[in-house]
Amino acid sequence: MSETRAVKLPTGGIRALPALPRLNLAPWLYLAPALITIVVWTYLPLIEAFQLSFYQWNMLPTSPKRFVGLANYAHLLTLPEMHAALANTAIYILGLFPMSVIIPLAVAIFTQDLKGPMRNVYRTLIFVPMIIAPVVAAIVWRWLLNEDHGLVNVALDTLGLHRIGFLQDPNFALATLIWITGWKLIGFSTLLFSAANASINPSYVEAARMDGASRCQIIRDIRLPLLSPTILLLSMMTVLFGAQWSFTYINVLTGGGPLKSTTNIFYLLWDYGFGSLSVGWSSAAGMIAFAGFTMIAFFCLRLMKRCSVYDN
Amino acid sequence: MASIRISSLHKVYGKTPAVRGVDLSIGTGEFVVILGPSGCGKSTLLRMIAGLEDITSGVVAIDDVIVNDLEPGDRGCAMVFQNYALYPHMSVSENIGYSLKVAGVARAERDEKIRRVATLLGLDTFLDRRPAQLSGGQRQRVAMGRAMIRSPRVFLFDEPLSNLDAKLRLQMRLEIKRLHRELGSTSIFVTHDQLEAMTLADRLVVMNGGKIEQVGTPQEIYRRPASLFVADFLGSPPMNFIPAVIDDEGKAVCADGLRPCPDLIWDLEPGAEVRIGVRPGDLQIVGRSARGALPFEVEMVEDLGTENHLHGTTTGLRMTAVLATGEAVPDHPFAVLIPESAVHLFRERDGARIDPRSVSRIH
Ligand SMILES: Nc1ncnc2c1ncn2[C@@H]1O[C@H](COP(=O)(O)OP(=O)(O)OP(=O)(O)O)[C@@H](O)[C@H]1O
Ligand SMILES: [Mg+2]
Repeated sequence: MSETRAVKLPTGGIRALPALPRLNLAPWLYLAPALITIVVWTYLPLIEAFQLSFYQWNMLPTSPKRFVGLANYAHLLTLPEMHAALANTAIYILGLFPMSVIIPLAVAIFTQDLKGPMRNVYRTLIFVPMIIAPVVAAIVWRWLLNEDHGLVNVALDTLGLHRIGFLQDPNFALATLIWITGWKLIGFSTLLFSAANASINPSYVEAARMDGASRCQIIRDIRLPLLSPTILLLSMMTVLFGAQWSFTYINVLTGGGPLKSTTNIFYLLWDYGFGSLSVGWSSAAGMIAFAGFTMIAFFCLRLMKRCSVYDN
Repeated sequence: MASIRISSLHKVYGKTPAVRGVDLSIGTGEFVVILGPSGCGKSTLLRMIAGLEDITSGVVAIDDVIVNDLEPGDRGCAMVFQNYALYPHMSVSENIGYSLKVAGVARAERDEKIRRVATLLGLDTFLDRRPAQLSGGQRQRVAMGRAMIRSPRVFLFDEPLSNLDAKLRLQMRLEIKRLHRELGSTSIFVTHDQLEAMTLADRLVVMNGGKIEQVGTPQEIYRRPASLFVADFLGSPPMNFIPAVIDDEGKAVCADGLRPCPDLIWDLEPGAEVRIGVRPGDLQIVGRSARGALPFEVEMVEDLGTENHLHGTTTGLRMTAVLATGEAVPDHPFAVLIPESAVHLFRERDGARIDPRSVSRIH
């Protein structure tokens, strides 16, 4: 009710014009900036990418587009590079989980009772990575992890351990990128979990204490269920965006290598499009990613609706 | 069932004192109501007994065992919160049975107990619902059930009825009274509603500013308030107060030289400032010429159906008198008289009640 009334108000002047009989323009006017932005920057490119995925083209305006039907898809699905990229995408997502959900959740719950200066120290520590620009973070990590002079390897050396080529060794590069992506995320997730945890009505916890629940039981039976909407939200964000978040670090630090060990679907389609200028492949890879993640998003949303508890 | 002993209990939040030296003994099976204005420390006192609030100094003992350092769950107390605090993600039966689940009671036994409690409270048909799907009264009942199921030694209530409408409040009040009679558990009930306090209490504790003002049966406290604060706080409409000064004979003289109770003598030094208190219902309507009568000018009459409230002034002071509906409001100038047995007198200096010499002789 209130919405319709709110948007109708300014139409008074417009309705007086004979040229616009009953058409209620005002709501569309208000929506226009958002709608136009979404259409121009999301849906039009999506449709265009969908079209391009059936063509072979090298992005030069002068060169002809050649219709190839489903050949791009057929080719991609048999390409080992694509399989590796899809597998890596899954590894990125799974690898991010501990740092985007599990550790922040634990940190938020176990630091809730911190008071005074300790609280500020911990907050600063946990939130600093969040405010550093991704490219800066990538460069700082490249220095830290440098095989010859990086602090981490120097430390390993003094401990009598082997030096590790964090970004050069195919066995470590993927894990390193996941770590950097996750390190950047922990602050954000902890912030969200802390806020959600702090907004749990303290009398639920008091009631549980009166019922004889221990600290652990209170976390298991009261806090976690009441935090479940936030847990689901962050899990969903990790699944949907986790692999995208690592793009900057792949691009700056490894370029997908060594031996393609750090390539994921987003880097691959970017590489096809703007590296080798094969727009057809790039678009087809994009469509595959889009279809996959749409299905996952749909599933996640349904799950969220079923699991969330409404507190009143 | 248990007895509770509280001695010189203090609570300080940072620098603000909330409870300032409370001593109280509660017998087994007693229903004690703590009454006081907002912010006087009632909840704080209750939460210290429950174990939800740290004790700054003093002792809380249940059945002669000091429980200061015991976890709330180990004290054998159950609490009904003002906002009920039902777990929103659990069904009614899970809410009621949570304490048993935590205690590791087997499922079958748990279900059996839940059913018994639910039947007692008329909740059988709601067991699968979530708290959000219940009305206020039903939630209140679930909160009661959750408190009852462990057969606690002590029931603690923190204004459990204040979120209900007037009718439901009366109904739940009677229900709590009935349950107390059936279960016989020691109960402490915090409220700022006088009616609740008067009707529920075996013993009433009136608190003010973190201290106990008076302890006694509701009747004792209503009839012989020990201080100006208690006299003013209890009763509706509130007690009338007339400032007066004690003369050389020990009699009270108020403004204009009127003596409202000419035959009473107090053992107070001449010149002592006092306040005479009288409940509106105790005032008698008399002619202006009667001895000790105070001329009364009516300003407004409120008809409450069962009685009339006459609001007006006496010697420039506000005063309220209550008349039964049957009695006509006089249409000629009249006065009010304070019967000797209805006089309360308080020393202005400290608010203490002082009984007249003659009355003390009678008692
Ligand atoms: N957590 C707290 N921190 C600081 N001061 C507090 C805290 N809790 C209560 N107080 C103060 O202690 C005093 C007593 O509070 P309490 O909640 O016991 O009052 P109450 O008698 O229950 O009042 P009400 O009838 O409004 O519930 C108040 O002055 C309050 O401001
Ligand atoms: Mg309170």
